[in-house]
Amino acid sequence: MSAHATAPVRGPRQVGGPRRPGRPRRPLFGNRPTRSPLLRALVKHSVMIITLTLMLYPLLWMFGASLRPDNQVFTTLGLWGSDLTLDNYAAGWSGGDQLNFSRFFLNSLTITVLSIVGNLLACALTAYAFARLEFRFKKTLFALVIGTLLLPYHVTLVPQYILFNQLGWVNTILPLVVPKFLATDAFFIFLMVQFIRALPSSLDDAARIDGCGHWGIFWRVVMPLSIPALGTSALFTFINTWNDFLGPMLYLTEPDSWTVSQGLASFLDATGQSAYGSLFAMSTLSLVPVLGFFVAAQKLLVEGIATSGLK
Amino acid sequence: MAHATLRTRPLLGLGLGLLMTVLAGCGQSLPDHSADELRGRGDIAGGIRFSWWGSASRNDRTNAVADLFEAEHPGVEVRREAADFGNYFKRLNVQGAGRNMPCVTQLQARTLGDFTARDALLPLDPMIESGAIDVSDIPEAVLDTGRGEDGRLYMLPTGAAYDALMVNETLAEEAGVALPEPGYDWDDYVTFLRDAAEGLPDGIPATALRGGLPNFFIAYVQGLGEHMFDGNQLGFSRELLVEYWEMWEEIRAEGLANSPAANAEEPPSPEASYVASGDVLSDNRPGNALTPIQGTLDGQGEGQRMTSLPLPSGPAGQGNVLITSGLSIPRNCANVPTAAAFLDFWANDPRSGDTYASDNGAVTNTELLRRQLDDPELPDLKKRELALYQRIVADDPSIVLYPPGYLAVFESAFTRAYEDVAFGNQTVPEAVDTFFAEANDGLAR
Repeated sequence: MSAHATAPVRGPRQVGGPRRPGRPRRPLFGNRPTRSPLLRALVKHSVMIITLTLMLYPLLWMFGASLRPDNQVFTTLGLWGSDLTLDNYAAGWSGGDQLNFSRFFLNSLTITVLSIVGNLLACALTAYAFARLEFRFKKTLFALVIGTLLLPYHVTLVPQYILFNQLGWVNTILPLVVPKFLATDAFFIFLMVQFIRALPSSLDDAARIDGCGHWGIFWRVVMPLSIPALGTSALFTFINTWNDFLGPMLYLTEPDSWTVSQGLASFLDATGQSAYGSLFAMSTLSLVPVLGFFVAAQKLLVEGIATSGLK
Repeated sequence: MAHATLRTRPLLGLGLGLLMTVLAGCGQSLPDHSADELRGRGDIAGGIRFSWWGSASRNDRTNAVADLFEAEHPGVEVRREAADFGNYFKRLNVQGAGRNMPCVTQLQARTLGDFTARDALLPLDPMIESGAIDVSDIPEAVLDTGRGEDGRLYMLPTGAAYDALMVNETLAEEAGVALPEPGYDWDDYVTFLRDAAEGLPDGIPATALRGGLPNFFIAYVQGLGEHMFDGNQLGFSRELLVEYWEMWEEIRAEGLANSPAANAEEPPSPEASYVASGDVLSDNRPGNALTPIQGTLDGQGEGQRMTSLPLPSGPAGQGNVLITSGLSIPRNCANVPTAAAFLDFWANDPRSGDTYASDNGAVTNTELLRRQLDDPELPDLKKRELALYQRIVADDPSIVLYPPGYLAVFESAFTRAYEDVAFGNQTVPEAVDTFFAEANDGLAR
């Protein structure tokens, strides 16, 4: 078949409706219009830079602290101390007897990649069913799926643990990964349903005339057109999984199977001696994949959210 | 277009069948222990899981002890599970609910009740009677902190922590005030704060605001010879707590303590505390915080020295109580003899004591403690910490039997109620009433 269609793209929304002709725009700062565009730009950028600095300061402080000796981490609120060292990076990376951050990064990456694959496949299939197929109890089932969003995680914590323990899955990555292949993330199902519903159904009809069944329509028509929604789901799954602590803490008990978030937590303990320098050094490194993925996928993120009606 | 229609009945049936299978499988059965196993007797072989709390440095020491045990018993594998204190107990509660606690589980006296109330632990008394676990070198008063409400021993106390008054000696000298004398009481403590405040530089209060710290209040109650708990209810009177919080409000009103806002913003770890950065003269902190606090002071490069003192006493004697941590064997453990051997090794083997070096409270075995105090390589600060423990034990400290839910209910309600007072949201009597209602209700469940 040759279904070359493009996703419906909406233009940028105009906030506050169309401007009335002849009415001067209200100035951003002050009651009187600023005459010099240069001055206005200067003020605007200054405010933005100051706000950005304030928001980034904790991160910058963390980076600065990671370069200070361990006993000088808390001696200043400034960005740099008198002594700068990379020892925290070396000590933190090698960790202790059973701690090694290369292992933790590998574990986190494995779980994250599998979670993304699972979520994209399972949620897209489920979303296709809810958006395109007709079957009995469809609305009830969809309401049930969406209803799981209202269920607090703590309610299912113990039953899930008992179940996975019975299956012998504790201390393996299975409890963290297998549910992703069973379309358990209702948010992504909802996001994709919204997106797929916006695709013209005439594309399905055209594909069907060309001989496609449901699988062909899903794989050759719907999926290629849903890349923005898939990208958004992938990005959110990446961030959620990479930063998840409770799940790995419960199910990955032995240090060999720890993720980055567990490795970071192991530097701290309220009842003993903590290693803040190593913690800040490894925290800095652990941000790199998240930032990198976000920068790479932010265009898809914006498109996915804008075109699925989620705000 | 014409939408496709799927047959859903077979799928629903399959789903229901799966659900029933899963539900029928829930509920882990407990191992059927023989009489010998319950006495800790049998082959020391196979694998056991061992869990504890701590940070990376403590993990290294703990792993080293577990390695020694494995070397001592070829064929035994100790699988290790560590987490920091707060998250450790979150996980342990879930593991307990799923009857999947590690064979050797570290507990603290304050959390023991949560697990004895669920009948999740094996009593250790038969293992002691059979000789599988030797407790002859652990003082009776310390051993008793591992007992449940029924008087049986459920936790072998291996480390004893205590709270201490940390005082910045250098600042005290500069303020021209002498440290409180041994046996000082609460009046002496407040007098010390007042005298110090007169000579301290502006912006450095004499103490951190600790009216909401449960351990400080426990010292107050013990010093008066009162009881913290009566079964699953509060054992002290409303009037006593009113008196205590009014004392702290006087301290705050006189400017002897830092502000409630500053107090609320303070990071919990000792390294990042105000007393560690020299921003307050004194504070109540765990005794083993002396080393990390001095470490941060050293990092300031001003040569300030920190010292630790017992908490204030009262008419009934010393206020200090011991907060022990120790090892337990849960009912779901299928390898009790090996777990019992591990407990015995941890508590009595000299190599174990030397390696762990009282990292989580002073070692409770007096012989191992003596070895550490005699060790010329043990840092001076650590020796001072252990010496203070010896002093507290010598004064026969009271034992607090913490009810189930102590940490989750009592501690959070106590701190919150005092913060309401300090921030001016409630009067002291109102906050005391709120606290009593919340704590008694929560502890009774």
